[in-house]
Amino acid sequence: MKVLAVVLVLLSTSAAWAAGTSMYEKGSFGKIGIDLSNRTSLQRGAKYFVNYCLSCHPAKHSRYKRVADDLGISEDLMKNNMIFTEQKFGDLMTVAMKREDAMDWFLGIDPPDLSTHVRAIGPQAVYEFLKTFYIDETRPFGVNNLHLPNTAMPHVLFNLQGSQKAVFHGEADENGREHPVFDRFEMEHPGVLSEEEYEQVVVDTVNFLAYLSEPAQLVRKKIGIGVLFFLAVLGTLSYFLKKNYWMDIH
Amino acid sequence: MSEQAGGLLGWIDARFPLSKMWRDHFAEYYAPKNFNFWYFFGSLALLVLVIQILSGIFLTMHYKPDAELAFASVEHIMRDVNWGWLIRYMHSTGASFFFIVVYLHMFRGLMYGSFKNPRELIWIFGMLIYVALMAEAFMGYLLPWGNMSYWGAQVIINLFNTIPYIGEAISEWIRGDFVISDATLNRFFSLHVIAMPLALLALVIGHILALHEVGSNNPDGVEIKKTKDANGIPVDGVPFHPYYTVKDIFGAVVFLAIFSVVVFFIPDMYGYFLEHANFDPANTLNTPEHIAPIWYFTPFYTVLRAIPDPFGGFVGMVLAIVVLFFLPWIDRNPIKSIRYRSVLFKINLLVFAITFIILGYLGLNAVTPLYSQLALRFTELYFLFFVVLWTYSRPHGAMFWISSFVILLGAVTLYDVFMNTSEYPELIWKTWIIPAAFLVVTLLLPLFPGLGQEKEEPARVTS
Repeated sequence: MKVLAVVLVLLSTSAAWAAGTSMYEKGSFGKIGIDLSNRTSLQRGAKYFVNYCLSCHPAKHSRYKRVADDLGISEDLMKNNMIFTEQKFGDLMTVAMKREDAMDWFLGIDPPDLSTHVRAIGPQAVYEFLKTFYIDETRPFGVNNLHLPNTAMPHVLFNLQGSQKAVFHGEADENGREHPVFDRFEMEHPGVLSEEEYEQVVVDTVNFLAYLSEPAQLVRKKIGIGVLFFLAVLGTLSYFLKKNYWMDIH
Repeated sequence: MSEQAGGLLGWIDARFPLSKMWRDHFAEYYAPKNFNFWYFFGSLALLVLVIQILSGIFLTMHYKPDAELAFASVEHIMRDVNWGWLIRYMHSTGASFFFIVVYLHMFRGLMYGSFKNPRELIWIFGMLIYVALMAEAFMGYLLPWGNMSYWGAQVIINLFNTIPYIGEAISEWIRGDFVISDATLNRFFSLHVIAMPLALLALVIGHILALHEVGSNNPDGVEIKKTKDANGIPVDGVPFHPYYTVKDIFGAVVFLAIFSVVVFFIPDMYGYFLEHANFDPANTLNTPEHIAPIWYFTPFYTVLRAIPDPFGGFVGMVLAIVVLFFLPWIDRNPIKSIRYRSVLFKINLLVFAITFIILGYLGLNAVTPLYSQLALRFTELYFLFFVVLWTYSRPHGAMFWISSFVILLGAVTLYDVFMNTSEYPELIWKTWIIPAAFLVVTLLLPLFPGLGQEKEEPARVTS
């Protein structure tokens, strides 16, 4: 027990060391609440996704048809409004852009596949990423990002959100070196959407991406409840069966 | 029961020992009647094995062992194959549950001395199963060809590089290439779907045959075969079927409920069962931020990292597993069950369990100066457990305890003086308290009679 006490003391002191360094406090732009039961949000997210993301980011493990079926989008609607290439309804959501071109245009970075990458980094990261673009003329596309500093991605939603400026102040670390710390955003050129409307666009898009990273989410919890119910009944029966058999054993 | 059955069964029995096997292993296999909660995990391990084999068969129908196609084929299973997501989650969750169940099963063996005479071979078969299971899990982990699969395998296979002279040749031989590549993936697939499962099944049969030869141990550590009735049936035994089949069915349903909670509601178990970085495809140019093995390997990974010398770390890790094989010859105390062993034995075993969990926790996290010292200390505790266990094999005089204490604490301290590479002396002496306190408790407290006192074993099972 002594050993355990020592360990607990030591572990508690280590928490302070774990605090990382970042230009801003993660989560300070709010938490994304994923709601896959909100079908209209998913449908809007799908619309934003094919319009703003899919030209560069593939979702190559997902099929248009699956998205249409899961989200209640009709085949015609999908074909006429959401498939911009010669692709068929049952095709995978790939992009026509060649990998070499992409590497050339985006500073040597191949835009990650959004059907799986979102599951690797989590929806909150995408949410913060889409909200923290700011003007930075030193970058090739004129924008930088708080969440992913020096990102190779342009701010594709800038006409919706507008262009915002980031205000930093300097803070000295324990070695006396100054580091920029994020203060606030200031809107330079407002976009076509209000702040609340843009927030909704981001939420819908991230919600859709969360769905896209694992479409089975739409059904698996529902099935899980049925399975657990079945096992509860079976468990009760098997408990009494066991009890009955063991009655005469002392 | 010796009368000849007629009909189809009689026809078969004349040619194959079907009824005999049924009697030997089920209907007339007498198991102690006092099995408790801990005795569920043997049958549950068998259940998980079946889950893994069945789900594995269906995964193999759709999976492509090709570096270009593997990642996409797993996503194909997750999205396009009917119920593919369920099959895949059952398999990935099953892997982790296999280790949970096996660790609890092994701990049961430690508590009740199930590895002791005459069950040494059961234990050895069990250890071989455990090692084969680790190999099986490691090779299976490469197959989704995610970025963590790739880099995790890279790190683990490179461990062999630390072996002097022949190390690099060995790791090249394992990979079939100079780096992890399509060749590695293909051979790991072959080993994962056929070679290791065959070995596992054979070892499991050996484990069970050896068990049924000598009979099961029980929470009292009493040999039920010593007390038989007029018909030669152990008085404290019950036929495995139907008593334990109905009991194990209940255990299996409870297990499946817990299993289903993970499969249906938290299949990635917050990144512990399916690591997040593995949802990005293998990328030779992009290392995941923090490479940690999957949780069931992390106790041994911590032992590896605790020793600064690379080959030393590798040897330490291998020894941490190999020492378990020798358990029947380390703990030579004739009393089997924890119920009748001394308070100090219980403390030693409890500390060992906590140590194993802390080693696992440390292996999941990045190294800090504090964590690396804690890794060293708990590695020391891990090995000291076995030494203390050996000293508890029989009574000793005061001189033995004091000199054992001095020698072991001296060894720990000498390591710190000459080999501890930590740059923080304060951390060294502060964490030194951990093994020192452990040795004070386990080797000096036996000087007080009462703490080392063992209890009288009963002749019959007690409950």
